[in-house]
Amino acid sequence: MSNWERLVWNQREILIKGLLVTIEVCLIAFAFAIVGGLILCLVRMYVRPLRPLAIALIEFFRATPIFVQLMWVAYVWPELFGWPNTFFTAGWLALGLQSSGYLAETFRAGIEAVPAGHREAGYSVGMSPFQVFRRIVLPETLLTVAPSIVNQFTVIVKSSTLISVITVPDLMLQALKLVHVWFEPIEILTATAAAYILFVFLVSAAGKALADFHRRRFGLAAA
Amino acid sequence: MVEVPAIRVVELRKSFGTLDVLRGVSFDVHRGNVVSMIGASGSGKSTLLRCINRLETPSAGEVYIDGEPMGARVGANGQSSARPLVEINRMRRDLGMVFQQFNLWPHMTVLGNVIEAPIRVRGMSRKDARALGEECLAQVHLSEKSSEYPARLSGGQQQRVAIARALAMRPKAMLFDEPTSSLDPELTDEVLSVMRELAGRGMTMIVVTHEMGFARDASDRVMFLHNGQIEEEGPPEQIFGAPRSERCRQFLSKYRQ
Repeated sequence: MSNWERLVWNQREILIKGLLVTIEVCLIAFAFAIVGGLILCLVRMYVRPLRPLAIALIEFFRATPIFVQLMWVAYVWPELFGWPNTFFTAGWLALGLQSSGYLAETFRAGIEAVPAGHREAGYSVGMSPFQVFRRIVLPETLLTVAPSIVNQFTVIVKSSTLISVITVPDLMLQALKLVHVWFEPIEILTATAAAYILFVFLVSAAGKALADFHRRRFGLAAA
Repeated sequence: MVEVPAIRVVELRKSFGTLDVLRGVSFDVHRGNVVSMIGASGSGKSTLLRCINRLETPSAGEVYIDGEPMGARVGANGQSSARPLVEINRMRRDLGMVFQQFNLWPHMTVLGNVIEAPIRVRGMSRKDARALGEECLAQVHLSEKSSEYPARLSGGQQQRVAIARALAMRPKAMLFDEPTSSLDPELTDEVLSVMRELAGRGMTMIVVTHEMGFARDASDRVMFLHNGQIEEEGPPEQIFGAPRSERCRQFLSKYRQ
């Protein structure tokens, strides 16, 4: 029996269980980051009194190391706010917060790239500012920033390995546990790295395909 | 009874910082009339158009649409107060605007561009809006393109879609801001001919243009703007035949081969 079979194949249930936790955490964090990023971006751009606060939050989330944020959310927030009450929640929250800072700036760049004339065309047919935003600015922005959003998801996936430190049973933690049982890191960690590569590659490819599909559909890129 | 002009502009002024772009412009446009505005770049033509539908807020003066002031409203007690932005947004739909850069929304089909405002602003059902949209596209001879996306159309076709989009709101008047200035000469004609047809059907139009042929043949009145003021205005025969102002003469001489 080869080491690969003994250490990886026979342990596949544990590893897959870990992978599913990783996927779950990343998806929740991603959804949170998109909503949070959009809110931060809109507050920064359109709510003048709260603008300094939004800028401070965005810069804080972007400028602190993810490891520090993870510790901070997992151990300081419960003391301060009584929440989050599980490490699982702390994990996706920290990942989501950091990405929301990056996505806020991505959205801002996208919104600023929408030609002023497209908005004016909306106003000139009687649309309200909210309608112009929802029907014209937002869809055009998403179209522009889609590749960056997908990229941010891959960042989340890679950063998510750190949540093993606060004992969230993700793929990384399960792999480390196996290493500690068998004292055979080569196959286990190589297989884990391969799983992450595959996951990130699939997500990027799917995101790129989706973005390309829409750009081609609207005739915005050469077929 | 004297007919209320479709558009009345009274002493309109606009400054950007210390730069006075419009320095007191007044004129009337009567229903069914076509007015062409000519003048050098920077003379204030586009700003004037944008002040009329309030994409720019005028520094002073007033614009009346069918006798209704755009910037103020008169309450029951006869007191006039500033018109709220919400109402200005609504009033804009009475003035169709066509831009130099077309400004179609790239993520919507041609028909989607045309029926967006009828659905969202007028509250039409999708079915009614589609029928209206098809009718407006037929007016600009683009029925066969209704399911295309704008990026797949030529500039002339895009501009005709933009005209259809404005028409779909059944505006009281149409404002054209250099509608052919970013088009190749061979695409200019298809847009101008659609505009001529509109004029022929009695649409009230203000056209900012460098197309002197159109200004001469298709308009009832021509205005020559210089330095934010109307330097000369009159019927096309006068402006193109025997302009009184020296500046107008000079300007027009550049267009004669």
